[in-house]
Amino acid sequence: MLDSLFNIDCGYLEGLVRGFRNGILRQTDYLNLVQCETLDDLKLHLQSTDYGNFLANEPSPLQVSVIDDKLREKLVIEFQHLRNHAVEPLATFMDYITYGYMIDNIVLLITGALHQRPISELMPKCHPLGTFDQIEAINVANTSVELYNAVLVDTPLAEFFGECVSEQDLDELNIEIIRNTLYKAYLESFYNYCKGLGGTTADVMCPILAFEADRRAFIITVNSFGTELTKEDRAKLYPTCGRLYPDGLAALARADDPENVKQVAEFYTEYRALFEGAGNNPGEKTLEDKFFEYEVKLNVNAFMQQFHCGVFYSYLRLKEQECRNVVWIAECIAQKHRAKIDNYIPIL
Amino acid sequence: MGSLFRSEEVALCQLFLQSESAYTCVSELGELGLVQFRDLNPDVNAFQRKFVNEVRRCDEMERKLRYLEREIRRDTIPVLDTGDNPEAPMPREMIDLEANFEKLENELKEVNSNAEALKRNYLELTELRHILKKTQVFFDEAMYPPNLPPDQSAYFDDDDETVNLLTDVSLHQLKHIGIWLVILKPFEVRINSCQSTITTLVASTDGRDGCGGNLDGGSASLTQNLLPDEAKGPIQLGFVAGVILRERVASFERMLWRACRGNVFLRQAQIEEPLEDPATGEQVYKSVFIIFFQGEQLKLRVKKICEGFRATMYPCPEAPADRREMAMGVKTRLDDLNTVLSQTQDHRHRVLVSAARNLRSWMLKVWKIKAIYHSLNMFNIDTIQNGLIAECWIPVADLETVQLALRRGTEKSGSLPAILNRLSCVEAPPTFHRTNKFTRAFQALIDSYGVASYREMNPAVYTIITFPFLFSIMFGDIGHGLLMTLFGSWMVWKEKPLSVKKTDNEIWNIFFGGRYIIWLMGVFSMYTGLIYNDVFSKSLNLFGSSWHVPFDDETIRNNAELMLDPKEPKQYDGSPYPVGLDPLWQLANNKINFLNSYKMKISIIFGIVHMMFGIFLSLWNHKFFSRRLNIVCEFIPQVLFMCCLFVYLALLIFIKWVNYGAGPDVPIVLTPGCAPSILITFINMVLMKGYQQQSDNNPCSAYMFDGQYYIQMMLVFLALICVPWMLVTKPYFLHKASKQRAMLGTSGVEGGLEESGEPTTLPAQPAEDHDMGEIAIHQGIHTIEFVLGSVSHTASYLRLWALSLAHAQLSEVLWGMVLRNGLSTAGTTGGFAMYFIFAVWACLTVAILVLMEGLSAFLHTLRLHWVEFQSKFYDGQGYAFVPFSFDAILEANENAVTEQK
Repeated sequence: MLDSLFNIDCGYLEGLVRGFRNGILRQTDYLNLVQCETLDDLKLHLQSTDYGNFLANEPSPLQVSVIDDKLREKLVIEFQHLRNHAVEPLATFMDYITYGYMIDNIVLLITGALHQRPISELMPKCHPLGTFDQIEAINVANTSVELYNAVLVDTPLAEFFGECVSEQDLDELNIEIIRNTLYKAYLESFYNYCKGLGGTTADVMCPILAFEADRRAFIITVNSFGTELTKEDRAKLYPTCGRLYPDGLAALARADDPENVKQVAEFYTEYRALFEGAGNNPGEKTLEDKFFEYEVKLNVNAFMQQFHCGVFYSYLRLKEQECRNVVWIAECIAQKHRAKIDNYIPIL
Repeated sequence: MGSLFRSEEVALCQLFLQSESAYTCVSELGELGLVQFRDLNPDVNAFQRKFVNEVRRCDEMERKLRYLEREIRRDTIPVLDTGDNPEAPMPREMIDLEANFEKLENELKEVNSNAEALKRNYLELTELRHILKKTQVFFDEAMYPPNLPPDQSAYFDDDDETVNLLTDVSLHQLKHIGIWLVILKPFEVRINSCQSTITTLVASTDGRDGCGGNLDGGSASLTQNLLPDEAKGPIQLGFVAGVILRERVASFERMLWRACRGNVFLRQAQIEEPLEDPATGEQVYKSVFIIFFQGEQLKLRVKKICEGFRATMYPCPEAPADRREMAMGVKTRLDDLNTVLSQTQDHRHRVLVSAARNLRSWMLKVWKIKAIYHSLNMFNIDTIQNGLIAECWIPVADLETVQLALRRGTEKSGSLPAILNRLSCVEAPPTFHRTNKFTRAFQALIDSYGVASYREMNPAVYTIITFPFLFSIMFGDIGHGLLMTLFGSWMVWKEKPLSVKKTDNEIWNIFFGGRYIIWLMGVFSMYTGLIYNDVFSKSLNLFGSSWHVPFDDETIRNNAELMLDPKEPKQYDGSPYPVGLDPLWQLANNKINFLNSYKMKISIIFGIVHMMFGIFLSLWNHKFFSRRLNIVCEFIPQVLFMCCLFVYLALLIFIKWVNYGAGPDVPIVLTPGCAPSILITFINMVLMKGYQQQSDNNPCSAYMFDGQYYIQMMLVFLALICVPWMLVTKPYFLHKASKQRAMLGTSGVEGGLEESGEPTTLPAQPAEDHDMGEIAIHQGIHTIEFVLGSVSHTASYLRLWALSLAHAQLSEVLWGMVLRNGLSTAGTTGGFAMYFIFAVWACLTVAILVLMEGLSAFLHTLRLHWVEFQSKFYDGQGYAFVPFSFDAILEANENAVTEQK
């Protein structure tokens, strides 16, 4: 897409999203937030930020879950406002963003159904961006074929589902495999779509999605140790659009313990740094947090360029990280567990 | 009224308040609205301040009130607005208020939850009633299928005990099997369990397309062969009936089809009237559906899907008699529920009505309490004396009033008096202009450019006249001016009722806020319209034209153009038209040439006067702030520069107007043909070019008076001297002063300051070389800006002419193209045509000429004031005085509330 023509369709929305981005909490805000004694203090401070009166109609005392819901609700409203005004190709791009949430929701519901939980209880836990008409009827399906034929065939996820159709009954392992296969297909499709858009969008989005793919590959490998997942099955779950493809993935497929994973990461400068400082001891950051930090960095960098769709993705990701941070701080305050309150990931 | 010319003197004061009386004192000050508190703890977080708990309690009360208000609005009960302004309640009353709100909220919540439960019940029953009604239709249809040819009725078992359901066969299945005569599923619904009649029923998919003939005895056996084995035995069909949101029907149907592989049969009918959703209170449209299926597996599945789509399922008895009975039961229960519901609603209504009576005053009280605690949070805590210390800006003129208010506050709480101290301060105080309803709009025009620096000359006073005047030069037309005046007068006349009626219509608010500006602009436009002699592009012949047409009819008919000669006494009286333009010019061919020259010249003259006035205002600024250096190094050369070039230009215009003319006894040198062009004269003057000696046969002179060349040389020379004067002298004197100071040492700082006459801008740091450079650069920019600006600003005033020309031409075109068509049509048709054409013309006049042109002229006037006029003297570096005032806070809160609606 020609940069100069970008603004015709998406200039307004890009401006909006950049405005929203400026409302992201800064380091000073976090410093103030961690000083809060109660959740009401937190509310009072958030009132002075761009969040404004989003908690004004909630009766005290506040619950962390209420804060979480409201934070998410605000983000969803913003995102849907953007989506409603979007035209092609941004519209498809933003739809792609929601597919990830759909996958998560489906897996959440099926797992819940396996544990005999009523759907109505699970629905509020689903991410509102990933809902679709048929989602609540998902427990009709007992096998993945049924899942596909009955529920997913009408949804945009249908195209990602091709590989995981089987007559096997759905069980825990199966669901995880479905989730990861779906996610793999989704990531690859999204990657190709961004690549097809070309221009700055591809420049910005491809590294972000490549990192996402690699992160999934690492995490799948690490989590697979000590489960029944065979190495061949595991290898099938790796998204192939990352920087690890093909050599790194092949090496990961052979890995037997976390040490092997670390050796694979040694070959890639950016991942080596992530693995080096990571650990579970106090004072060290977990690998997950390291990944989050790196993701935040990539997403912040997306705003350095103009005339591309990547900012919409990055904004959502940053805002989600912010929600996680605020909820983390809120949890620490609510549980009077101040030792770990600084474990949030600053964004700006 | 001295404060009109400058902002008021504002003093920084320190306020010692006893902790018991602080609340009441601040409350009194809030009612007064003359004190601006300074935040003394800017580094303290909002949640770490002293009175954060009280603020939080107010937030909580506000939330409850908002909840009440929402409920009141839902019931469309009018909120009583008596317009009275209750005082902020004492802190101890806060607890009563809180308890009161708490009680109300709980009561309301309880009523609401009851009502919701009842409504849900009601909804369920209504849905059930619909189901019973609609399913009856389905069952009836099955019994007497409407699309079967009459002669097929033999195939139906009319026995009451068995109801056969006929179905439309889905087209999908039809294609799948590949025959066009199919049975979907023969089934029966057993009504009386004692009977077990089996009827297989054959149905044509479409009786109309000629297949009816095949429906004979043979086809029955054919279909039986097609059926799976168990279908031949008695088939127990189950069914589920329910209600679903109408927009979900399509995907629901598709899902059912997919999940059950087409083995269910769905019928649905729409419920025509909308139903109320008890949770949200919205009206939603729903559909009744009934699903038939076979076997337990499918039943489970169908139920799951129904749940998934949030369809509500209801038990529906199979027998018609049972259904009828149930319908009766439902009806009676509905009636009962209705009475209960209306009672609940009545109760709710009563609660809300009583709340609505007090809602506004409660809201005001809570807002006031909150504002007071916000202010208290800005104070310092005096731990020793158990008091609070505040710093605030107070207009000096109001110190007495503030003292009185403080006394009232302390009396109320009955504690020790509050102490007010004046402090000296280095910081510039806020700018406070006391305005009334008339000056407010003008002050707002100035403030939107930049709030005046403390005690600087306030241009708003002069703007009151110059603004409408410059506007009217561009908008000169009696007709359009009259429309504007009438509109302005109406707004001024209806001021009170209009200002009470609050709207959030931004455009209206802008117009209403500027009603006095609009009125003045209208009046001034009528005046200039009189001078231009322009009413909707036509002229008024009030005093009789000075020109006469001596030609006879024939001459006029035969000549397309005739020229009137001012030298002929028969054609021109010799004395001009008393006021404004002679109406005869309206007919002249060279009207535009004449007007252009005239309007351009007055634009330049008014522009120069306006700018010179601005420069002279800077003298008052310099004198007030005792910046002697600025008078000598800036004001004098600026005036000199302007006089030498541009005032002289204006002078030339007057000389040309006065000296040159076309009377009978004017010498040839002074005839219009000989008049030198002012533009060329001026350009030659600046280029210091001598004029060509005129040849012998040309009697005209390039000069307007004797010695003009040398005078002009001298003026240009003087102007040129002014440039380095402005550029160099000030930095030089400053440099000298700072050197002197350095020699005197630090003790002489004050003396040096006074000597330089520049107390505010002098640097106090040792890095003087750097500052000197800065000063020199600043001065350079200032000088270049002034010199270049004087040229471009003078030219900029030509917009007065341009806009005026555009306005006159537009209104002339509108008259010529629209209204003349109506006027030139004769007879009755002309009357009718005129009726419509006038409407068009009037609309266009208002929309384009008054609104659009008015807006554009307004903007140009604004620019002339902001850029050309104010750049000569106005700093605009101040910040506004924002007193702590309940009125302002309440208004802001109310606006926020109306915005949310």
